[in-house]
Amino acid sequence: MIDFELIASLLPSFGQAALRTMALVAVASSGLVLGFVINALRVLGGPAMGAGVMVWISVWRFTPFLAQLFVVYFGLPAVGLSLSPFQAAALTLALYSAAYYAEIFRGCWDAVPKGQIEAAEASGISRFSTFRSIEMPQALVMSVPLLANQTILVLKESALASIITYPELTLTTGRIVAERFVYVEPYLLLACTYWLMTLAIGAAGRRLALHIEIRRGTAQ
Amino acid sequence: MNTSSNPMIEMRNVGKSFGAHRVLRGINLDVHSGEVLVLIGPSGSGKTTALRCMNFLEHHDEGQVRIKGATLGYRVAPTGQRVRDSDREIAAARSPLAMVFQQFNLWPHMTALGNVMAPLTLARGLSPERARAQAMAALDRVGLSAKADLRPAALSGGQQQRVGIARALAGKPEVMLLDEPTSALDPELVDEVLEVILSLSREGMTMVMVTHEMSFAAKVASRIAFMEKGELVVVGSADEIIRHPTHPRIQTFLAPWVRRSLPADTVAAEVAAA
Repeated sequence: MIDFELIASLLPSFGQAALRTMALVAVASSGLVLGFVINALRVLGGPAMGAGVMVWISVWRFTPFLAQLFVVYFGLPAVGLSLSPFQAAALTLALYSAAYYAEIFRGCWDAVPKGQIEAAEASGISRFSTFRSIEMPQALVMSVPLLANQTILVLKESALASIITYPELTLTTGRIVAERFVYVEPYLLLACTYWLMTLAIGAAGRRLALHIEIRRGTAQ
Repeated sequence: MNTSSNPMIEMRNVGKSFGAHRVLRGINLDVHSGEVLVLIGPSGSGKTTALRCMNFLEHHDEGQVRIKGATLGYRVAPTGQRVRDSDREIAAARSPLAMVFQQFNLWPHMTALGNVMAPLTLARGLSPERARAQAMAALDRVGLSAKADLRPAALSGGQQQRVGIARALAGKPEVMLLDEPTSALDPELVDEVLEVILSLSREGMTMVMVTHEMSFAAKVASRIAFMEKGELVVVGSADEIIRHPTHPRIQTFLAPWVRRSLPADTVAAEVAAA
C-alpha cells in the first residue's frame, strides 16, 4: 500500500532537489551551444579542423560518462583545478552532451541536399553565408526534436552527479531511503519527478518546432 | 559573334578523374561571347563534368580553365606546382558565370523571390530594395512575377526551373551554364523552359548547355560539341552535327532520335518491313 502522507511529506525535499537537477541541466545545456560551435568548425574549418573535431567528438562519445566525471572531479585537482561537485558535474555533462549535440547538428547539416550548396557556390555566395542563410534555417528546423530528445538524455545522465555527492534528485532520494528505511515511495516519487521533467522538455521541444513551422509558413 | 578579345571561357587540355575512372581527357574548347554552345553525347560521356569544370564546381586535375582570360581554380607557383586559389579568388574569377541545374537546386525555405534575391544580397552586397527590384525584374523576365511569394514546393517543375533561370539571370551574368535544364521535367513542362532559353539566346546571351533535346539543340546552338568517353570528338554547326552528320559515331548516336522524329507511319512501315 502506498503511503500518500509520506509522499506529501517528501515533496519539499524533492522540490529542492528537482531545482538543483534543473540548475545542473540548465548549465549543462550550454553543451548545445558548444555542439553548434563544434559543428560550425567542422563545416567551415577545412579538412584538418574537421578531422580534429571528429577526434574530439569521439573521445567524449566513446568513453563512459561516469569515467569522464571521475577524471574531471578527481583528476583535475591533480593539476591544481578543484571543482565543486556542481561545477564538475555541469562541466562534464556540458562537454559530454556537446559531442552528441554536435552529432545531431552534423546529421541535420548533412541532410541539406548538396545541390543547394552547389547552387550557392555557383551564385558566388561565400561558405559562411551559405552556412548561415542556406543550411542553418533548414538544419535547425530538422534538429529541434532531436535536440529535445538529447536534452532528455542529459537530464537522465544528471543522476550520475549523485556519485560525486551533488545533492540532486537521485542523491536526495538515496539519503531519504537511508534515513527512513522506506523504498517504494521515495523511488516512485523519484521516477515520477524525472518523468514529469522529461515530459516538460519534450513539450517545450514540440512547441518550439511548431513555432518555427508557423514562422516558416508565414515569413518570407 | 565577337572573337576579337579573350574567349569567355577557355578550356586547355582539361582532364579529370574520379578515383581510377578518367572522365575527361584533353578537353580543348573555347566559348565566345554571344554564342550558344551545346554539349551532346551519350550518358557518362563527360558533358556535365566538362560543364561543371567551367565554373569549378568540379575541380579539374589537369590543364587550365580561363574565364575572360583569368585562370580559374589553380595558379602555377614558381616551383611549377599547381596551387589552389583562395575561395575569394575563385568566386571573383567565376563571377561572370551563372548556372542552371538539372534538379533546379532551389532553396526550399525561401520564396521564389527570396531565391532570386539571395545571391544579390549575400554575394553581390546589394541593398534589399535594389535586390528586390532586380529579382522581380528577373522573375518578370521568365513570366513568374505573380508567383514571387510562393515557395518552390508550391510551384510546378517548369516554374521551379524558370525560378532557377531567374536566379541565374538576376546577377546579370555574361555566360549562363545550363546542365540538362529540362531533363527533370514532365514532357508537358519542357516547352515553357525551352521558350525562356530560346528567348535568351535571341537576346545574345552567351550560353553553354548540356541537353538531350536534339531538336532544341539544332534550333538554338551556334555550335555543337559531341563528347564521348571523356573526349571531345567533334565540334561543329548544328547542320554538321545534327541535321547532316557525317561522323559515323554521331550518326549512331542520333539514330534513335532520327527515328523518333520521323512521322509515325514511316516508322510503322519500317518496323513492318523489318
